Amino acid sequence: MDAENVQPALVPIDFSNELLSSSELFQRRSQSHKIPVRGQKDFLPNDSVQQKACLEKILEEHWMLVTEERVERVGNLVNAEWIPEEKLVKLLTPAGKFWQTMGFSDQGKQCLFPEEALYLMECGNLQVFYQDLPLSIQEGYESFLSDETVTYLEYQVFSHLKRLGYVLNRLDARSPSLYKQQLNQPPFSNRSSKHRKRKWSQSPSFRLCNKKSTSSPEVSSGDQKGEIMTSVFLEAPGNLQTKQAFQDETLNSDPESVKAPWRNWWTNTSNEPQPDSLNPSELYWDFSCIFFPDLGSNSANCACLPPPDPSLLPGDLHVPECKLAHWHRNINLKKEHLSKQQQQRDQNRHRCNINDDQEVSQCRNWVEYLELMEKRRNQQQSERLTNFDKHEVMPLAQPRKCSSHRELLEQVSIIQSYDLLVGKPRLSDSDQWGITFNVYQPDIEFKKSYPGKPYTRLCVSSFDGPVPNLHVLKQLSFQSGDVPVTFAVVDHGDISFYCFKEFKLPTDVY
Amino acid sequence: MDWNTEGSTEADEKSPESREVVMVKSDGEKVENQTVTISMCGSTPLLWRVAEIKKCREEVGVIGSLVGSLARQPRQNVRLGRPLEILQEEARLLEETGKATALKHKELSEHKESRSDAVKLYHARLERSYVEQCSLALEDKKAVLQRVINEKQNDHKGNAGAEQAVRERLESLEKSFSFPRSAMAVQLCTARAGFSHCPEEHAFLAADWPRLRDKRSETRFQVYKDLRSKGFYLTAAGKFGGDYLVYPGDPLRFHAHFIALCLPMDEKLPVCDVLAIARLGSNVKKTVLLCSPQDISEEEEVGEKVVYSSLQWSGMV
Repeated sequence: MDAENVQPALVPIDFSNELLSSSELFQRRSQSHKIPVRGQKDFLPNDSVQQKACLEKILEEHWMLVTEERVERVGNLVNAEWIPEEKLVKLLTPAGKFWQTMGFSDQGKQCLFPEEALYLMECGNLQVFYQDLPLSIQEGYESFLSDETVTYLEYQVFSHLKRLGYVLNRLDARSPSLYKQQLNQPPFSNRSSKHRKRKWSQSPSFRLCNKKSTSSPEVSSGDQKGEIMTSVFLEAPGNLQTKQAFQDETLNSDPESVKAPWRNWWTNTSNEPQPDSLNPSELYWDFSCIFFPDLGSNSANCACLPPPDPSLLPGDLHVPECKLAHWHRNINLKKEHLSKQQQQRDQNRHRCNINDDQEVSQCRNWVEYLELMEKRRNQQQSERLTNFDKHEVMPLAQPRKCSSHRELLEQVSIIQSYDLLVGKPRLSDSDQWGITFNVYQPDIEFKKSYPGKPYTRLCVSSFDGPVPNLHVLKQLSFQSGDVPVTFAVVDHGDISFYCFKEFKLPTDVY
Repeated sequence: MDWNTEGSTEADEKSPESREVVMVKSDGEKVENQTVTISMCGSTPLLWRVAEIKKCREEVGVIGSLVGSLARQPRQNVRLGRPLEILQEEARLLEETGKATALKHKELSEHKESRSDAVKLYHARLERSYVEQCSLALEDKKAVLQRVINEKQNDHKGNAGAEQAVRERLESLEKSFSFPRSAMAVQLCTARAGFSHCPEEHAFLAADWPRLRDKRSETRFQVYKDLRSKGFYLTAAGKFGGDYLVYPGDPLRFHAHFIALCLPMDEKLPVCDVLAIARLGSNVKKTVLLCSPQDISEEEEVGEKVVYSSLQWSGMV
């Protein structure tokens, strides 16, 4: 105690005015929560008495508001402890209402991330202790905010949006991962939800699923790409539901289907470098090398399809042979039959009538016609050859070689389109540019266990820092999937939000 | 936190007036002779104490921006509370005029002995506060009941039974009154309560101040100093594409007149940039100022440290 009494003498700073006395504490329990309104600003100072009085009044209000300390009843406070080693705040008393949107449980203990704890301290909901002494807000800022947790800038954005009512959580390993969140996103969850459905009602969706995964390439190669991509996300270990579902499928499959492996589809790809489908960096599948079974024509006769090459499937996933009869009934084969005559008629219409050709009609016999044709061919060829010799110029596109505008445009394009994400190490700049928070809108019923698709994802930067380049933009938006990325730019407490939207110029002109 | 403020709080509790005196004293005398402490959060300079914030605003014209939640109403962004984030230039000016020292925060104290003493003090203080609040609550309740009795007496309509009941409650209050611990009010301190650093620690920690002295920050600082010396108030103007917003008076009461853009004399600026900022300035009804500090050698005759050029749209009819 003696030592304690000596210390204040050593340090002559006296800030006791910021520590409230008991009577003040007691009075503050019922303080007003109104904020005085600031009036219209003036344009020029003119030393008038009125202006001075106005300024004085507003400054007085300003200092009154800034001076005010947080006073809370013990019963309304949640107590917690700061654990510097883990960079976490662990609750000592039961959590309040904030638990709906913040915190997580770790080995039966309720924990808060430092930024969440600091925000709650600022709101007057939480009292954080360290070595049995409560931390001031200043100490909270100084101890909680760091490069390992959340930086000062990131906290400013966090608390700004929190005060507006948004729900924010960190985008990192401890909170539900990006992968897990993607599972919960509507566009990605198609498959998993289907599997879930199958568990309850097996036969109808069984057909549905098979049809989708075996649809012929010319119909939906684009779709297939999406499917494969999702399966890469989905088939990570631990996705019990999917596994379970496929096991159900194994039990249900017909034993006789085993004897018909006449074409080993998908095995063509076994030489491809991609079988390790768990690695998210291998999302690029060359679909010209992956063959999907053609089920529309002759093969319709066979009873079933052999299973896909196991090297292409992740983990312990077993996909049995697939019986075709089930879904064949769903294909409208009739339409094909009907259209045959019409098809012929269509083809005839497009073929030009040879008799319309003047020169041809002048030919008196077959020999003359052949000669004419030969002559024309030679003429054409020599024309072309002379052109090449003279100008060393190659035509960008040969007539009749392109069947659509798109193909023509692709051939004509001299500058190769370049994918920013291919060929570069993925997310190499992530140490400087990274997504920090998921943001959920305030009005939505939020569940921590099932956060769903975020409203947006936040990347925090400073006005003093550089502007993100196109590569960074691409990487971040790729990392974020179909959730938009918003850049929060902080300038001395003033936060602006920017977001870049992709725009694709239409290329097909008909 | 430091709970070494026994003496002064005891004095405070006697009457609210004595507290006022302490406040004036600390504003007027103590802080005057005391250097302000700039607490560094990362590379950002922050001020935490009201007395210091006030002193900096009144004496040096440091405006800064409040970035914390307001104690009175934390869940809004219209009015914010402590801490006050100040510009690097403001921090440098405070430091150069000897009004402040910057401190990198100290790791939370691990000193076991002083810590356990502090814990004892904290609990003792808490206990005393409880006892005092308990009696205050009792007084409060008594006053309410007394007022009810007085009202009933003035009513004249008899109803002696009711009055008697209230009187009995008042008498038994002393025994039956209980003040639950959960109803006790505690303070959640904003600034670190008192400084437990000894002077040596001050000196040691002050060395941590980040000194970014590149050309750009040098230019900015010269412009800041010059405009400030001319009586203008300055805040950050990132949103307006400039370096500072320049106010003719206290920013609480006046609109900014200029957007200052700090530009070294020899730096070339693309015309499109000039057009862009001039256009932006005219859209927000402010004049754009291009501020270029002069070389000290040239300065002798001219006398102006910084050359200002304003940009304005002019229409031709």
